[in-house]
Amino acid sequence: MAASSSVANASASRWGRLLQNPSSGALALVMVLAIAMSVAFPGFATGVNAGNVANQMVFVLLLALGMTVVLITGGIDLSVGSVMGLSAAVGAYVILSGVPLIFGLVAAVAAGAFLGWINGLMITRLGLPDFIATLAMLGVARGLLFLWTNGVPMNGYMLPEYYVIAGLQQPFGFITVPILLALVAVLAIAGMLKWTSFGRHAYGVGSNPQAAQLSSVPVTRIKVQAYVVSGLMAGLTGMLMAGRTSTVAPTMGIGYEIAAIAAAIIGGAALTGGRGTAFGAVVGALVLSITANAINISGVSSTWQQVVTGMVLLVAVVFDRVSSILRDRSTRLKTRLAHT
Amino acid sequence: MSAPENTRKGGYSRRNVLAQMGLGAGLLAGTGLLSACSTVSTSTASAAGAGGSGGAASAGGAAYDAEIKKLVNGRTLQLGWTPPILSEWYDQMEKAAFGRMAELEKAYGVQWKWERSSPTGNFDAVEQQISTVRGWTSRKFDAVLVCTGANFATMQSVYRQAEEAGTKVFQFNQPVEIYPEEEVVTVSNIGYDNRWQSGYLAGNFIAKTLGGKGKIIQIMGPSGSDWAKARKIGFEQALKENPGLQVVGSADGGYVRDKGLNAAQDLLTRNRDVNAIYGENEDMALGASQAVDAAGLKQWDGTDGVVIVGADGLVSGMDAIKAGKLTATIDVGSVDQGRTFIDTIFRSIVLGETVAKIIEVPTRVVTKKNVDAAKAYIQGNMKPSKTY
Repeated sequence: MAASSSVANASASRWGRLLQNPSSGALALVMVLAIAMSVAFPGFATGVNAGNVANQMVFVLLLALGMTVVLITGGIDLSVGSVMGLSAAVGAYVILSGVPLIFGLVAAVAAGAFLGWINGLMITRLGLPDFIATLAMLGVARGLLFLWTNGVPMNGYMLPEYYVIAGLQQPFGFITVPILLALVAVLAIAGMLKWTSFGRHAYGVGSNPQAAQLSSVPVTRIKVQAYVVSGLMAGLTGMLMAGRTSTVAPTMGIGYEIAAIAAAIIGGAALTGGRGTAFGAVVGALVLSITANAINISGVSSTWQQVVTGMVLLVAVVFDRVSSILRDRSTRLKTRLAHT
Repeated sequence: MSAPENTRKGGYSRRNVLAQMGLGAGLLAGTGLLSACSTVSTSTASAAGAGGSGGAASAGGAAYDAEIKKLVNGRTLQLGWTPPILSEWYDQMEKAAFGRMAELEKAYGVQWKWERSSPTGNFDAVEQQISTVRGWTSRKFDAVLVCTGANFATMQSVYRQAEEAGTKVFQFNQPVEIYPEEEVVTVSNIGYDNRWQSGYLAGNFIAKTLGGKGKIIQIMGPSGSDWAKARKIGFEQALKENPGLQVVGSADGGYVRDKGLNAAQDLLTRNRDVNAIYGENEDMALGASQAVDAAGLKQWDGTDGVVIVGADGLVSGMDAIKAGKLTATIDVGSVDQGRTFIDTIFRSIVLGETVAKIIEVPTRVVTKKNVDAAKAYIQGNMKPSKTY
């Protein structure tokens, strides 16, 4: 009995593992969409369009990476869209003051990290719920941006090198600087989650904060660091977006927090904490970007984009439920077999 | 002073608009005169352009001015101004309004108190505007100026309550033309006809530039917005009159640049042979312009390339036209709206005159040819002598 079932297990294990991966449902969905689009619209399955999707997904991807880290620690960062806008304005302002470009770019990223740090302090030192603290930051950062600019977009900071950094000029084909930066960010976050003590602790803090505290994990530090990472990613996104659009509108980034959360969840992160991967964030961002791209190309009313995004989110979460039930069942089966 | 009733427009005749297009430069000069007037001008800018004296005194002369000053008697008007969002467009309008307020204050001694409130979220954050108007009403403001994305019927009931409490309501930049005029309960609506003074102009400009034939990509605002609906009516009429024009793709750019850029980029992959892109506002058109550059396509240089048309009339858009990054824009009169709503309030509340319910300021197609004048007109109003 034990022997026959272990053979069946081995043949099914590859599929089983795939089914248990939280983001494979979303990945399957996006593949179906891509195949259908390629058949229906000849312009879809082209190198140019792939390049477009890759360049468009960078922004949500970077935010989703930061969001994933925060979600792993059991938090949530609602402020990333506003932080992205304010950081971009800081960067533009510094460049306009006449210092070399690099200072502006660093200032934007640093501003994001700083605002993330404030988020972290509000949550850990003042004991505010994550949702409330970052919701407050969403309002404060956006309000400051409007007060500062009086609603007038910032322009005129586009130095020649910025065009290259923002991917508007493409010296290496569709592989732009933002894509390379996103790649580095994915590898860095993946490495950080896997091999550093921060990564190991983050999952513990998220899945069981009390246990983590009792086993003398520096919960406060881990949480603050997670928010700094998220803020830093938002700053980086703002810096790139300021380049891509060549203007900092005070509305920049509105709604991006929702996209970032959706991408992270589609990628297998959980609002309950303790779960999520950098690769999942890539899948989530890819799903959202391909959906938007398909809707633009097919000429379907953009109102459908919200419907489709919502459906994708729903399918991803339902799939995740089913796969976790499967996972539970197979572990239970395994323990039973081990006992016989 | 022309009878206000004459300025009512049941329907804007398209032939009229065409004539105006041809006279774009003339109109620009005409409205320029309006800004030169320092005292009361007629309630529509076009009328002032036709009859404007250009001198420092009003049409009534010094004796009239002295009488008006007596009537005003140093009165203070408390105004509330709520645009749907803070943006470059509304900033231009507010500064133009300040300029006109300062002029009237100097000429007639009228005092102004100005309060501004705008949602900082997005165009849909309308509850905040409704409570703002209610708050101003209960604080007994003399007049409130509203432009909102809120539901039409809801706003009319909010306005009715304000009127009952003694606060006069004016709307600006609001596409009231798609609703029956008798259902609009405000004292006056200062704006322009989005159908025939914007959407139709853009469609016709594309037709004229391309010789009546070509493929068009549209980048539209959020579906369901009144502005998008109204402009679409006009644009589609232009398409109907020019059967050689063909819309090959249409997408939502959410009135913001990054979405406009993405939408244009996606549509261009399928339609590299496109001749024109219509961005329903300037930010989206500028996004489309970046997409055209990124796709390695040529922008319109007067003989060939992709024609890109936007609509708003922002200084940043005009700079883009000068730089060859935007073929044309429809300037829908930020300055004239700002100056005209102040005039309308002054004449209606202080002088007790009857103003037209629908007041439309001139709009114009701005191209490389007249961009310097159009930009100078706005910039001449960007540094008001006093802010409120």
